[in-house]
Amino acid sequence: MAQNHWLSTGNFFTSYKQEQRNFLTHLDTSIFTFFLILLFAWPLFFDLGNKMMFVVDNLMIAIVAVMGLNLVTGFAGLISIGHAAFVGIGAYTVASFCRTLGTSHELITHFWPLVIVISGLVGAGFGAFVGLPAFRLKHLYLAIATLSFQMIFQWVINFMTFFNQGQTIFVGRVSWVTGRVGRNDHYEFWYYVILVVVVLLGFGIRNLLKTKYGRCLIAVRDNDRAADAMGMHPGLTKVYAFALAGFFAGVAGALHAYVYRGVGFESFTLHESVSYLAMAIVGGLGTLNGSFWGPVAIKFLDLQVETLSEVAGQYLPAGMNLATALKPFTFGLVIVLFLMFEPRGIANWWRIVKSYTKLWPFRY
Amino acid sequence: MKQHFGVRQILGCALVLIMATAFTGSGIAGQVYKLGFSGAITGPTSDAGNPLAKGVEDWFKYVNDNKLLGDDTIDCTIRDDQYKTAVTKRNFEEYLDEGIVFYLNYSTGSTLGLKRDFEEVKMPTAPSSYHEGNLVDSNYIFIPVATYSENMVALAEYVVNNHKGSTPKVALFIHPSAFGRGPVDDTKKAVAKGLDMEIVEVVEHGKDLDNSAMLQRLMSKGVQYVISHTVQSPVATMLKDAMRLNVNAKSFGEAGKLTFLGAHYTGGSDLIALAGDAAENFYWTCSYNLTSEDNAKSKKQLELAKTYGRDDKAANSHNYAAGILQAQIPTQAIMMAKKAGLDITPANLYKMLNMMHGENEFESFAAVGPVSFSEDDHVGVDMVNIYKVENQVFRAISSIESVYMKKLRTGM
Repeated sequence: MAQNHWLSTGNFFTSYKQEQRNFLTHLDTSIFTFFLILLFAWPLFFDLGNKMMFVVDNLMIAIVAVMGLNLVTGFAGLISIGHAAFVGIGAYTVASFCRTLGTSHELITHFWPLVIVISGLVGAGFGAFVGLPAFRLKHLYLAIATLSFQMIFQWVINFMTFFNQGQTIFVGRVSWVTGRVGRNDHYEFWYYVILVVVVLLGFGIRNLLKTKYGRCLIAVRDNDRAADAMGMHPGLTKVYAFALAGFFAGVAGALHAYVYRGVGFESFTLHESVSYLAMAIVGGLGTLNGSFWGPVAIKFLDLQVETLSEVAGQYLPAGMNLATALKPFTFGLVIVLFLMFEPRGIANWWRIVKSYTKLWPFRY
Repeated sequence: MKQHFGVRQILGCALVLIMATAFTGSGIAGQVYKLGFSGAITGPTSDAGNPLAKGVEDWFKYVNDNKLLGDDTIDCTIRDDQYKTAVTKRNFEEYLDEGIVFYLNYSTGSTLGLKRDFEEVKMPTAPSSYHEGNLVDSNYIFIPVATYSENMVALAEYVVNNHKGSTPKVALFIHPSAFGRGPVDDTKKAVAKGLDMEIVEVVEHGKDLDNSAMLQRLMSKGVQYVISHTVQSPVATMLKDAMRLNVNAKSFGEAGKLTFLGAHYTGGSDLIALAGDAAENFYWTCSYNLTSEDNAKSKKQLELAKTYGRDDKAANSHNYAAGILQAQIPTQAIMMAKKAGLDITPANLYKMLNMMHGENEFESFAAVGPVSFSEDDHVGVDMVNIYKVENQVFRAISSIESVYMKKLRTGM
């Protein structure tokens, strides 16, 4: 019987290679391509203004960072409470170049893709170093080690004059084939850059998880002793997971530096680390699409609560400062509700929707 | 042929009338000038940011209600940034999309972070941050009052001028951030320029709830004066501990005791509420007129607060006065531009601000001195009042303009 490449109605894999395909049917490929074209094309037709493009850029940077966090916490099962510090490492790598070479040095303005990759590699280096205790530590003890890194990072940035004691270090405007990217095009330009990065890294993770290097992460998470017995090295795997997460975070940090055109300490605090963790949990730990859902949900919740706090601030008594409490309260409530009622995150809703629509038209 | 006025004709006439009224109305209504303010109305430092935002809001309401700009009005959007630079940047981008002609900012971090943006879009900006660094490599930032450095150096000068005996020994008690550290460098430079004072120690406070050890150490080093540059709560903790240890001076420069002084954000009614009796004899610099002074200026401030239904806490806050002054600066620039027959654009307001000196300077009921700017001087009120706590109230005891800060700025 001839196989239908558009609508798969069963499992017809005849080789491992077939199973490892990114898209199972032509329909999947078409939908993804259409969606990708849509993502690239919409800014050409809708002018959101700089404010909303800035929000979208921020959201996508968070997606890059959470993809990394999902690798270490979701897929490898290692809690990291210092992810914002890794993002900070990437951002401060760019800032260090600016401090030593000048904000308008060609490396920063013309070879920015290289700087982004270098920032990722520096992040990976720090990730691997911070992951070293994973040889000995597990669970909460390892989490505390990452927390220590967050604290050390904050202290170093806050006190070292080289890092301007946490105050903004400016980053120059970049150039593209069409010339210098001006203020009017800045956020749109970076939207496309970050979109390319998200797509590349997304495919990277998807493919990684189909290789032995990706599967060993999950094996170590599920049972590190069994993984050890099967010939994997749990310690090295954990260090490698931290390095991967550090790379993603470093790239996110460099993108942050370029989009903000400056690096300041307050974007990489413990609070931001907790926010990334919340995004990963709400999106769905251990899922790739959860890394997209989580930031979208939390960032938009943030925006809505901000507006609500602003309105509430005008009516609630200022002395009690209730409006101030509204944001952390809502944030905490959402996390608790997700942990209680949907620990698998929004990704699980997506899975349910997909499995429901699979029945149409008579898939099985 | 007979013609009838049907429903369509009547509706048509009504539409024409409505359109005509609307267009005539818009001609009379005058222009609306868009401004934007972004500050910490909630979140960290909102104890200062909240009354400040109220001051901004009330002043613009007053301008519109009393037709200070004739038929023209100011529409200032006030947004909360929760002391987060990322949110401030977002708000600023939103304001730019809306076409503002002047921007009002709040924190030091965000002012420094957005400095390049202000330059690029050539947007005149008045921040609530009085950090000296705002003026470095910057053309479009106009600081309403004396900078933190001016406050701290003015206090140091006051110590030197009023101290009896040999060189006074001073400790600096500062916030562990750029905000706290900035004025230290300028104070050290003033000492290097000849200010006869010995800085024995610079203490960056943490979140300590007990300063006994620190105070004992300062006493053992022979420190006589402690100049603070931070926020109220750590100062209140220190003052309470000093009173408990009985090391606080009962009069200025009392031998064997510590005289406590503080710059801008260390004082105000919140300090007295936090420190109680321990705040007695605390010396404080500020460029704002306090309502405890019971003068014509403070009456105007209280009247404004009453008109717009503010509670006593906000009405008597020097941060409320800070908000008023911050809003008065663009108002004055708009008035000047209108008088000169210029369009109200960021470029023209920038021009007006640089001309706001001599006969163009203005007196504000919120500040202790005249507000003036020029191309070389982007600090509005140069004068600071020295206030002292007497019977749980801040009383003005002196006015001062820092001599050494002028020297440092001019490089003389």
